Amino acid sequence: MRGAVLPISMVPGNSVVHKIAPLPKLLWAVGVLIISFSTRNPAILGAMIVLGLFLASISNIWSSFLKVMGILFPIMVIAIFLQSIAPAFPQPWTPIAQLGPFTIYQEGIYSGLTLFERTFSMTIFAMVFIMTTHPSDLFVSLEKIGMPYVINFILTVTLQLIPILQREFATVLSAQKSRGMKGTGFGAVLPSMVPVFVGAIERVQQMSISLESRAFGSTGKKTSYRNVVMGVKDYVIMVVGLLASAVTLYWIIVDKSLDWSRTMHFSPTLSVILVITAALIFVTFIVISVSKIIKT
Amino acid sequence: MEEVLITCDNLSHVYSGGVVAVKEVNLKIKRGELIGVIGQNGSGKTTLVKHFNGLLKPTYGKVIIKGEETTNKRVQELSRSVGYVFQNPNHQLFAKTVTAELEFGPRNLGLSEEEVHERVEKAIEFFNLDTYRNQHPYRISFPLRKLVGMASIYTMRPDVFILDEPTTGQDNITTRIVYQLIRRLRDEGSTVICVAHDMILLAEVVERMIVMRDSVLIADTDPKTVFSDRKLMSSTHLYPPQITELSHRLKDKNFINTYALSIDEMQKVTDQQLQVKRSK
Amino acid sequence: MQNINLKIYEGEYVAILGLNGAGKTTLQLCLNGVIPNMIMGELTGDVFIKGLNTRDYPTRELAKIVGMVFDNPEFQLTQTSVAEEVALGLENLGTSPHDMEEIIGEVLQTVGLSGLKDRSPFELSGGQQQRLAIASALAMHPEIFVMDEPTSNVDPVGKEEIIAVAAKLNQEKHMTVILAEHEVEVVAQYADHVIVIDKGKIILDGTPQQVFNQIDVLAKCGLRTPQVTEFFNQINQSKKLGIKELPIKIDEAESLMLNQFEKK
Repeated sequence: MRGAVLPISMVPGNSVVHKIAPLPKLLWAVGVLIISFSTRNPAILGAMIVLGLFLASISNIWSSFLKVMGILFPIMVIAIFLQSIAPAFPQPWTPIAQLGPFTIYQEGIYSGLTLFERTFSMTIFAMVFIMTTHPSDLFVSLEKIGMPYVINFILTVTLQLIPILQREFATVLSAQKSRGMKGTGFGAVLPSMVPVFVGAIERVQQMSISLESRAFGSTGKKTSYRNVVMGVKDYVIMVVGLLASAVTLYWIIVDKSLDWSRTMHFSPTLSVILVITAALIFVTFIVISVSKIIKT
Repeated sequence: MEEVLITCDNLSHVYSGGVVAVKEVNLKIKRGELIGVIGQNGSGKTTLVKHFNGLLKPTYGKVIIKGEETTNKRVQELSRSVGYVFQNPNHQLFAKTVTAELEFGPRNLGLSEEEVHERVEKAIEFFNLDTYRNQHPYRISFPLRKLVGMASIYTMRPDVFILDEPTTGQDNITTRIVYQLIRRLRDEGSTVICVAHDMILLAEVVERMIVMRDSVLIADTDPKTVFSDRKLMSSTHLYPPQITELSHRLKDKNFINTYALSIDEMQKVTDQQLQVKRSK
Repeated sequence: MQNINLKIYEGEYVAILGLNGAGKTTLQLCLNGVIPNMIMGELTGDVFIKGLNTRDYPTRELAKIVGMVFDNPEFQLTQTSVAEEVALGLENLGTSPHDMEEIIGEVLQTVGLSGLKDRSPFELSGGQQQRLAIASALAMHPEIFVMDEPTSNVDPVGKEEIIAVAAKLNQEKHMTVILAEHEVEVVAQYADHVIVIDKGKIILDGTPQQVFNQIDVLAKCGLRTPQVTEFFNQINQSKKLGIKELPIKIDEAESLMLNQFEKK
């Protein structure tokens, strides 16, 4: 279970990207999301990937970024392998190579590559956003544009509770292993989950009394300690983001020549190499992960 | 000469991230010992003790349990020899009744139903849990839950019991009960290792104290020696029991010439060395 | 709880003693309205805080007069930084951000956490966490501070820190402190009013001197007295010293020893 949760959280820092307010960054991430889903053009997707990687590099979040990518990348890569032999694409399919029992199709390579680029670009921007934004700042900004205080609070507490409950779960597992419990199988589920749940309930009970004792739930105006001030720079970035997204979307919708699905050609050798590499990366990842899980 | 059950051979543990939690600890623990492991948070005492049942493995050096190195052994295997009672019983309890909870350990060891039943009965008798057999573990009071936690390890009959803060958060009555239980466990032949901050437990119950400070083992001796050493105590933020502190003050003034670890000892010291003032 | 009649005066340092389950927490929860407003059950009789009947005010209102901390430090913390945790109550009261900054600085200093404003509460030690919980309640400037076994899940160093803060609140800030505690030596040292609860009833109510001299009553309900008191009780009887009031603090015990005995 240990490697199962991704180390995604804010990475403290002072970069240009860190200094941008949460809302503009959120807007860009959402823009990228929408565009990725609106097109399969490898060049547009590729451009967003390059942009994302550039932002990641200037934010000084490389080591955390690479750690997360180390887990997500192999999973995304398998799309290439799967798609190339069974494209999620309308017929007709053009076979270009044979790999044992599998036939690799032209449209498959295209589909796999673009699917990969799509998820990769979204993930990069999501990571950059999460790793350069303090959650409290984000919630305060959302509150300013109308999100209710209670939701803000619930989100903050939930965010805190996730690592805590993970830790509790690990402690419970240790305790039960110390009683001879085998770590896998159905027999391991109940003895591991019940204590965590009970602990969570007790925690929330005491928390709610503690909160009420600090006037939580008062009606009337609430102020906020944390304040996010949007500067001119932030507004400019927001507007640029909006415009860029709008323009790109328009272009995608209007320009039919962006559909390269039938026009791109891949050489057979390149295709085979691509597919084999993708499969290898994925299998290595699975083997390493499984051996880690077995060890614990 | 009692059998050596646990050996730490130049044991060091470094957490990922580079934090050295335990540095070059050497010690031997024999059958039948009653030991208190103390130190501040961050001193390495919990890290050290977690090596005794395999929850942690050495980064450098070796830990040997009953003749075998722990490095390639799983916690489940070592739990036959070394039982670990966690500080918060809630981390263990999940069954519908106290009895079911006590059956969990021995069942995991693969024992026959008769054997399991026999051990559970013995545990219920030892810990005086008869009234609570069929109760839901979460419906009984916290002090009792802690006893159930101990009992559920007792049914596994390990050679060594590790008790993590057995009296923390307990009231006076349950604390006294735990002291008695610890002594009885030892009398039955078990080795008991308590990680604790309870000064009275350390002064009156345990027979050997292992003191950790900043990842290093700075003392491994009997309680009397530790509680006589003011410098040692203050360097590791140990506050002696009130009666011991009183004996320190009187000894400093040359009024008496020994330290007292308990009220009874203080009484003896008074009887032996002092007399009531005639001029009153 | 049964038939509780109690008066607590301004500026007192009250300690509540009793076994687990005796009713200490129940009593304390009545003091800020959690009972009867938040917890199910039946409350007969009334509790008045500064003249206000707790039935008529929700806890969040009474929170401005009565601050409260509980036995598990971590369970009380919810925010991503120390400063935000302290600001929680202030945000709910609509305090201006400028005033908040000042108050936060002030209370963090009182509890000794000044340099840790931006730290995550979950990276702090148990003692620090509890002091943070105290600071957070303190930010609302209550006059009465209730603490339910605040040191029970904390290491010795943390214990000392928390007890020192409680003493500070009472002596320097002149707050009324009400503390439920197991360590009788601490109670004897700091409290000026001790209440003993057994099976839901108050069986002793007086000064620490009065209460701790009732050794038999305390023993009957499973409670102990400070070690020096117990010791002097023994030698008072065995040596027929005729001491009327047993010492409850170590300084008293020391001088009494030097006074009553000489070397053989």
